Amino acid sequence: MTSASLIGANDAEWMTRIRSAAADRLADTPMPSEREEIWRYLDLGFDPAFDTAPTEAGSAGGADVLLDAWCGAVVDVVDGFVIGDHATVATAAEGEQKDVGDDLFSVAFDALSPGALLVDGALLGQPVFVDVQSTSDATTFPGVHVDVPKGADASVVVRMRSLTDAPAVVVPRITADVGDNARLSLTVIQDWNYQTRALGRAVIDVGRDAGLVLSEVGLGARLGRLHLDVNYRGDGSWGKIYGAYFGEEDQTLDYRYFMNHIGTNTRSDMFLKGAVEDEATSVFTGMIRIEETGRRTEAFQTNRNLVLSDGASAQSVPNLEILNNDVQCGHGSSVGPLDEDQKYYLMSRGLSSDTADRLQVRGFFAEALAEIPQTELEPHLRERILSKFLTAQEEGRL
Amino acid sequence: MSNALEVTNLTASIDDLEILRGVDLTVPFGEVHAVMGPNGSGKSTLCHALMGKDDYTVAGSARVDGTEILDMSIDERARAGLFEAFQYPTEIAGVTLDELTAAMAEANPADNGFTTRQEQTSELLGMGRFRDRFVNVGLSGGEKKRSEMYLMGVANPKIAILDEIDSGLDIDAVKQVAGMVEAMRSPDLGVLVITHYSRILRYMSVDKVHVMVKGRIVKSGGPEIAEELEGGGYAALQKQVASSK
Ligand SMILES: Nc1ncnc2c1ncn2[C@@H]1O[C@H](COP(=O)(O)OP(=O)(O)OP(=O)(O)O)[C@@H](O)[C@H]1O
Ligand SMILES: [Mg+2]
Repeated sequence: MTSASLIGANDAEWMTRIRSAAADRLADTPMPSEREEIWRYLDLGFDPAFDTAPTEAGSAGGADVLLDAWCGAVVDVVDGFVIGDHATVATAAEGEQKDVGDDLFSVAFDALSPGALLVDGALLGQPVFVDVQSTSDATTFPGVHVDVPKGADASVVVRMRSLTDAPAVVVPRITADVGDNARLSLTVIQDWNYQTRALGRAVIDVGRDAGLVLSEVGLGARLGRLHLDVNYRGDGSWGKIYGAYFGEEDQTLDYRYFMNHIGTNTRSDMFLKGAVEDEATSVFTGMIRIEETGRRTEAFQTNRNLVLSDGASAQSVPNLEILNNDVQCGHGSSVGPLDEDQKYYLMSRGLSSDTADRLQVRGFFAEALAEIPQTELEPHLRERILSKFLTAQEEGRL
Repeated sequence: MSNALEVTNLTASIDDLEILRGVDLTVPFGEVHAVMGPNGSGKSTLCHALMGKDDYTVAGSARVDGTEILDMSIDERARAGLFEAFQYPTEIAGVTLDELTAAMAEANPADNGFTTRQEQTSELLGMGRFRDRFVNVGLSGGEKKRSEMYLMGVANPKIAILDEIDSGLDIDAVKQVAGMVEAMRSPDLGVLVITHYSRILRYMSVDKVHVMVKGRIVKSGGPEIAEELEGGGYAALQKQVASSK
């Protein structure tokens, strides 16, 4: 294995300052409580083991089917460390650090992360695949900051995976600035092993007439959380947020999405599809928040969930907070089993019960997966999602 | 020789509601029959009871080409040769028509003529631009019916029950559907057309018309019955049936 060269702004004075301030607060910050709305439904009775944070990266993993399909740059982030000759930053330039909140995991990230990978104009000439890996049971803090220059069109994939079966805690942070008239297609693939607890945080600011297409595919993790804020700061900014997640065994997949409309004439559309089987749980809470300044906002959210086993459950909670009347909003949410009428129709065409179910599950996810901008990845991601259902079917778990 | 469809004393109910109250009906191979009847008389229920939809408690007998189907699962009935064209075809977002027919082909691996039949029917009905669209999603009423006819052609059933295949169609489409039923007429197929209008019967030759009222077939006869109904409506017929008892 080649040895990792760790380069970054780790020693910058301002970064050291952020770090030590956070380290001071860390000792006094308690584990969040499930009684707080934003942590509701979760089992937080685990040890985050921050003292296991490593001082260097383990060995990076090899290629896989996604990387084989990928045409573009690849950057490894292993155990939180950026591998190779790439710039790192805290989360953004000093003074404009994003408001990630002050919960235990955000504070711990600030205190313990070795620095986020900076994906900016230098890298963005081609699509970028950030391969975030965990190599042990150590608690790690991988970070990615995407800075899309004005007018640019950027494509970034952040894939997160475990190289072992070790039960790790991972605290990923993704931040992005989408410059005026720019566009960012960001796809997050969450593929941790089923022992890992991942407490992800993402904050994205969208500039004037700029657009964000964010897709998340939730495959792995024992606890896979993504707490996302998109700030539509620029007038005319927009976002399309897609999700496809599938929980099995005792997985918990947890999404807290906040669309914050600050500029005028902004638009957001969330569209997430999820399924749970076995004892799995999913949570989606979508908040559309329209500030007083957010005149002529259009904001919509749709979250549909399939519950495929009696022991599984899905929470779907749409929220609206509107401080301006000149807006258009809508939401749809559903939780339920596979549609009986569809099943009847398909079986009446000669398809077995199992085949009908598979086709329905495939159809259910198709709408969300079809929106992933990096189209070369879509067939593999669909395959992964469907294989969860197929395996459960074959093993008689449904 | 067995018949395409032979229904004897078929009853169907939901909870306490008795919908079919002893239906007797035979469609020989090679023939096209029509079932007419007022709204709510049980025509669609007949289709669903035969197809095996969960909602109903069903008793009696139904044979397709001599084989009892009432103890079969829905897909087994389809593979035994029963096809239902739905009055309200179900939308299946995310699944294209081509994906559906591919799954149908897989379910019938011994069916060597599948692809040829599919291409011919597709050509005949001009289905080209619908095949990579999601099943029934965003189709107009008439397009949905056409899609159902396409699937019938692809499935190659022994008995096809077409539930109001002419409802919501413009006159050209009615002619087209009737023409397709005519084209498919064969010694290996029986067809049961459920309709409210004698209109479609003008463009195809029916061997027999059955009238269903309140869950029973109250009258069967030649195509002239359709014209009678068009004149006097069901009320006149019900009186006639009552007085003849
Ligand atoms: N799933 C159901 N639940 C409750 N009642 C039902 C159900 N299906 C059918 N019925 C009732 O059974 C009766 C027969 O309905 P059916 O749909 O078979 O009539 P139809 O002859 O097809 O009518 P139309 O000409 O309007 O299509 C109606 O009174 C209907 O309300
Ligand atoms: Mg009907």
